[in-house]
Amino acid sequence: MTGKQKTADGKRQAAAAPALDGASPADSAVPAEAVVVTLPADCRIAAQVALKTVLIDALVAGKVMLDGRVVEHADTAGLQLLMLFQRELKSRGGTSSWRGASDALNDAAGLLGLSQTLELPAAALA
Amino acid sequence: MAKILAVDDSASMRGMVAFTLRGAGHEVTEAENGQLALDAARASRHDLVLADVNMPVMDGIAMVRELRALDAYKGVPILMLTTESHTERKMEGKAAGATGWLVKPFDPEQLLATVKRVLG
Amino acid sequence: MSAVDLTQFHKTFFEESLEGLDAMEAALLALGAGSTDSELVHTIFRAAHSIKGGAATFGFTDVAAFTHVAESLLEEVRSERRAVDAELVELLLRSVDALRAMLDRSGRGQPVADAESEALRAELVRLVSGEAAVAVVVAPKAAAVSGWDIGFVALPHLLQTGNDPLRVFRELQQLGRLEVVRAFIVDGAPSQLSALDPTQCYLGWDLRLHGATTRADIDAVFDWLDGDCELAIKPLAEAPAASAAVAAVANEPKPAAPVAPQAQQAIASSETSSIRVGIDKVDALINMMGELVITQSMLSEIGEKFEISQLERLRDGLAHLERTTRELQESVMRIRMLPIGSVFNRFPRLVHDLERKLDKRVKLELHGEGTELDKTVLEKIGDPLVHLVRNAIDHGLESPAQRKAAGKSETGTLKLNAYHEGGNIVVQISDDGAGLNHAAIVAKAQQRGLISVGQELSDAEVAELIFQPGFSTAAKATDLSGRGVGMDVVRRNVRDLGGGVGVRSVSGKGSIFTITLPLTLAIIDGLVTAVGSERYIVPLTSIVESLRLRAEAVRKIAGGGEVFHFRDEYLPIMRLHHAFGCVDAITDIESGIVVVVEEGGRRMGLLVDDLLGQQQAVVKSLEAHYRRVQGISGATILSDGSVALIVDVGGVVRLGRSKAA
Repeated sequence: MTGKQKTADGKRQAAAAPALDGASPADSAVPAEAVVVTLPADCRIAAQVALKTVLIDALVAGKVMLDGRVVEHADTAGLQLLMLFQRELKSRGGTSSWRGASDALNDAAGLLGLSQTLELPAAALA
Repeated sequence: MAKILAVDDSASMRGMVAFTLRGAGHEVTEAENGQLALDAARASRHDLVLADVNMPVMDGIAMVRELRALDAYKGVPILMLTTESHTERKMEGKAAGATGWLVKPFDPEQLLATVKRVLG
Repeated sequence: MSAVDLTQFHKTFFEESLEGLDAMEAALLALGAGSTDSELVHTIFRAAHSIKGGAATFGFTDVAAFTHVAESLLEEVRSERRAVDAELVELLLRSVDALRAMLDRSGRGQPVADAESEALRAELVRLVSGEAAVAVVVAPKAAAVSGWDIGFVALPHLLQTGNDPLRVFRELQQLGRLEVVRAFIVDGAPSQLSALDPTQCYLGWDLRLHGATTRADIDAVFDWLDGDCELAIKPLAEAPAASAAVAAVANEPKPAAPVAPQAQQAIASSETSSIRVGIDKVDALINMMGELVITQSMLSEIGEKFEISQLERLRDGLAHLERTTRELQESVMRIRMLPIGSVFNRFPRLVHDLERKLDKRVKLELHGEGTELDKTVLEKIGDPLVHLVRNAIDHGLESPAQRKAAGKSETGTLKLNAYHEGGNIVVQISDDGAGLNHAAIVAKAQQRGLISVGQELSDAEVAELIFQPGFSTAAKATDLSGRGVGMDVVRRNVRDLGGGVGVRSVSGKGSIFTITLPLTLAIIDGLVTAVGSERYIVPLTSIVESLRLRAEAVRKIAGGGEVFHFRDEYLPIMRLHHAFGCVDAITDIESGIVVVVEEGGRRMGLLVDDLLGQQQAVVKSLEAHYRRVQGISGATILSDGSVALIVDVGGVVRLGRSKAA
């Protein structure tokens, strides 16, 4: 595991800003009207203020698709924000789904016992 | 490889820490007191701060307090390099916002193990 | 296993430890003098603390053990559990001495602790209140249980300390199989994202750690989270509770391991001399370099396609180059300059010790500590100064009773002052003591055969007597000023540095010893002279005048010497070609030039062929590259690349006198 992380560290670049895209019709995997939130490669505490702004914007969309495929680092702060996002979205009647999640995201969530709460797809399915 | 800020007024301790960390492939910035460390921290973000407690000009406790007030250092691990005989200083460091501590004396292996512990 | 060789840091450790001890000593002396500045205690504590940390890290276990006890004592002072009194200051001063000696022995690879340091350490241990009674309760060696239930709720600030439950869980996984029974959001969590500070933590977990793990192992994982979370750790319900905790006394220091061989290695082997330079000096250098580069590019631009119309610009450029070069040279020289304060700093302690030893009361005043001296001069001026200070307290200042009887304050004043004067540094050691005892000096000089009985001497001449070899006026040779070193040695040492020492004294009022030193040794302003095909440089500071003599102005005296009349006195002539064995030189005095030089109040004429001009000469040691030559203080390289020798005027004067004698 350490070996894998080292590799990831080696390629780490400036944390890419989380992105909020309108669903592209060309992408068959994305349901219509869903908003896609791409989680940044570095999804740790320092990136959360920016991610929070994006997620607040996504709250109004109703249908949100989270894309965690490029996440290389995740920590408790990052997973907590996702949990609280999903909780508020649900309370507003919205739904969320995953377009995919990286090993790093799955590992962190699994360790913290949050995989089910977050409804993360198993890494193999991503 | 991480970017690490090493703060100690003792040149030998600082030298030992920096040399060991560089040997492990980390990038190390050295500072000889809390004030200089703050300047370095403001100049660029570090992934980890290792700081002595007793230093002239600005001690480690005050430095941690100031560092934590910076947005860029909200969650950055800061370890106090401290001696076992001063438990209350350890807790003072914690109260100021330190992540943990490394008890002096430590050898290069212990240092690297602890750094790995925080950086994962 | 470790690739890190710690011996490379030993030299730095010794250096900074000695500096720390100096700071500690200065602060102790200030405390002893009644200062209540709390920063002093912090300084002392910090020094001891750093030395302890470094010593332990680099394997100097004896030093670490000693400082550990001293530090405990200081901790009591710092936390105001112990008052500072004279005894404590004295004990700590002795500890400073002991540590210096221990560090010195460490550096030379000798056994570090000795009977003296061990006795002192025992004394410190006795003083540290109740240390023996302090017992550390360690976690009981409880029988391992089959697992633990861990209730872990983060406090909101947990993440802001840089800790992360992820790390904790990962470490728990190393101990056994970790089961997350439940993860939950705590009640206080904001329900709206907009109200959330994402750096705050609102999560909690019920964990179960399976496997034979001790409570201490779990505690160690959570050690950094003390105060950042609510923690409830219970053995798994089915397992019986661990037996009652047994407190164990575990504060016994580990037996001092023999010092690791590498720790014993001497730092002496890496005794290359280094210098600590203020960043401002380096910045000044870099600025000068910048200027130089600009000038250089401007000049080369002019040179590339030179037209006579640019002559003015060329001149400007060269003038600028000259100015910058001189400034650069000054900046470079300033790197070698260090404040004399580093030497002055050892006197508070010396005075403190002498007061106690001699039963005198002395107030020490230091002035001009910031005055900078060339590093080499600074290193060599210490011993002469120590001698003069000892001398002033031992012989100059009277006992409190004597002072009272003389209508003076019981406390004598000893003043050290350093300042610039012309191209020199002046260091004065003045006291308000009894002044030189003329009668005793004269009597002693007669007894020693330095003067004849009945000889009338002026005050200045009497004062000069104390600098004569073998002179000592002390009624009994104390171990302080005695030591077989007299004022003559002080004078010789100062002269070796190119300086001089003199004394003024008023009976009953005190004495002033004045040392005059050159600003720097490494560069001199000199007059380049030709002697045959050789070039000799005479330091400008020694030159009184240069003149051409008519043959009739020169008289031969008995013994083959020559003298000439110069301003009311006859001065001997030293033919440099003769002294240094130059061929092809002018031997006819009328054709040559006589340079009148002065050294220590004695003048002499040096016969050279011609004067070639003034030049600054960077002094290169002849001794280092060849050997010592009498009458030559060094060599330098002239602007045309040839080598010139620098005349040691003092040496030449002595040479001339011994030849004349």
